[in-house]
Amino acid sequence: MSNNQEDSLYNFKIVQWFTFCAVLYLLVGTFVGLYIAAELAWPFLNFDIPYLTFGRLRPLHTNAVIFAFGGCVLMASSHYIVQRTCAVRIWSDKLAWFTFTTWNIVIVSAVITLPLGLTQGKEYAELEWPIDILIAVSWLSYLFNFVMTLANRKVSHIYVANWFFLAMMVMITYLHVVNSLAIPVGLFKSYSIFSGVHDAMIQWWYGHNAVGFFLTAGFLGIMYYFIPKQAGRPIFSYRLSVVHFWALTFGYVWLGSHHLQYTALPDWAGSLGAAVSLAMIIPSWGGAVNGLFTLSGAWHKLRTDYVLRFLIMAVAFYAMSTFEGPLMSIRTVNALSHYTDWTIGHVHSGALGWVAMVGIGAIYHLIPVLWNTKMYSENLINVHFWMATIGTVIYICAMWVSGIMQGLMWRAYDEQGSLLYTFAESVEAMHPYYALRVLGGLVFVGGVALMFFNMIMTIKNSGQTAEATEGGR
Amino acid sequence: MTSIKAFFQTDFQAMTASDYVGLAMTIIVFLLMAAAYLYAFHPKNREKLNSYGDIPLRDDLHERGGK
Repeated sequence: MSNNQEDSLYNFKIVQWFTFCAVLYLLVGTFVGLYIAAELAWPFLNFDIPYLTFGRLRPLHTNAVIFAFGGCVLMASSHYIVQRTCAVRIWSDKLAWFTFTTWNIVIVSAVITLPLGLTQGKEYAELEWPIDILIAVSWLSYLFNFVMTLANRKVSHIYVANWFFLAMMVMITYLHVVNSLAIPVGLFKSYSIFSGVHDAMIQWWYGHNAVGFFLTAGFLGIMYYFIPKQAGRPIFSYRLSVVHFWALTFGYVWLGSHHLQYTALPDWAGSLGAAVSLAMIIPSWGGAVNGLFTLSGAWHKLRTDYVLRFLIMAVAFYAMSTFEGPLMSIRTVNALSHYTDWTIGHVHSGALGWVAMVGIGAIYHLIPVLWNTKMYSENLINVHFWMATIGTVIYICAMWVSGIMQGLMWRAYDEQGSLLYTFAESVEAMHPYYALRVLGGLVFVGGVALMFFNMIMTIKNSGQTAEATEGGR
Repeated sequence: MTSIKAFFQTDFQAMTASDYVGLAMTIIVFLLMAAAYLYAFHPKNREKLNSYGDIPLRDDLHERGGK
């Protein structure tokens, strides 16, 4: 069956556009991250321009990589997977384009408003209320189209990847709407309807589940489709994937309170969050084992299949992050790790190692399929893989050392009970690690730039191939 | 009273309607999850469930006979 015949049944155009935007936003988002990392090492780089300060660019970085890159790669892969595994075209092309357009308007709005300092001040939910409403509308159109496509499916079973996508869509709707409830006092100013510790608890219920459902469940959907597809082998244990799904869906919603240890939140709530976090190691590792063991008997493919390398390395980072997170939620460990760069290291082992790598692997699988051609350069994919891996490792090691050193310096007392170090001394001690983080980030962003170049050249060549084919007819 | 007993002590009198709704929902969802576990791990369902594991490998149109 040719790609043209598939195009007539499936809507791959929408997948192409989401894929292109995902790579573009990954490049922009990681570059902004690199710049603000450099600002922390060399503060003069903000040039006393308010729009370039860390406080304004940091939310731009997080929104760009999570919602622009992450959102587009999730929408690209879910539109692709639901059509193929259900053997049916997306329910409404118009609604899919509506989702694409509104989602991109949200991203452009974030690019404009965040550097201007228009923010609700909630981490990962900074955008002001008019944009929040647009996010809800866009997300609901995505959810509705996905559900209707599932309802119209031509195969009886709903593949597990679609279950993960559906859980993400339902939970993100719920989380976004509740956490964004606010009273507007102007077009670009609003106040949360929650206050005090309730506001904090709602925020971290949202914040951790943005990680749990947007960056984990959704990307597990990607893993459960693209690893078997790329490896050419069935998933190691489908039964395990069912258990993984329900345990993750049930467990993740409890974890948010572990972000608020040693605060006004009652101790029992923080301890409950930590206890469930520890329990979550079991399903998380079950899922990781399921992904890795899918390669049983086909490990040799890693020698030559660079796309598979991205996917498998991502699963390794997923296993590592999902062990480290629960460890950091334990109150005793949290006393050392919280508010330090250890948290930044942990987040980036998940963000760069898991989310970005599994997303990049999926995109490298999709590009030749969608544009019906070969990648411009397989070698560049290999170079990108090593740059992504080395960049990530440099970044997270620098932050681990920096974070643990920070924690130890802040809690060091002399015999009289006085602090041994001033805060400024701890900041000074961080400088070599902040410079090292810039190096790690530079290597990672360099790899993304190669990917963008490889994608552009592949699309360009696919156009020439199509013209040559038509010319020869 | 041991510390374990103290840890699990619950003042049911002080619980509000919201607390009871949350408690009920938690227990129901937990039981549903336990049922899902039993279903997934029951030996008689093994073959059926694992037969879905290769869906990504069967999704090319020509492998469906054009359907």
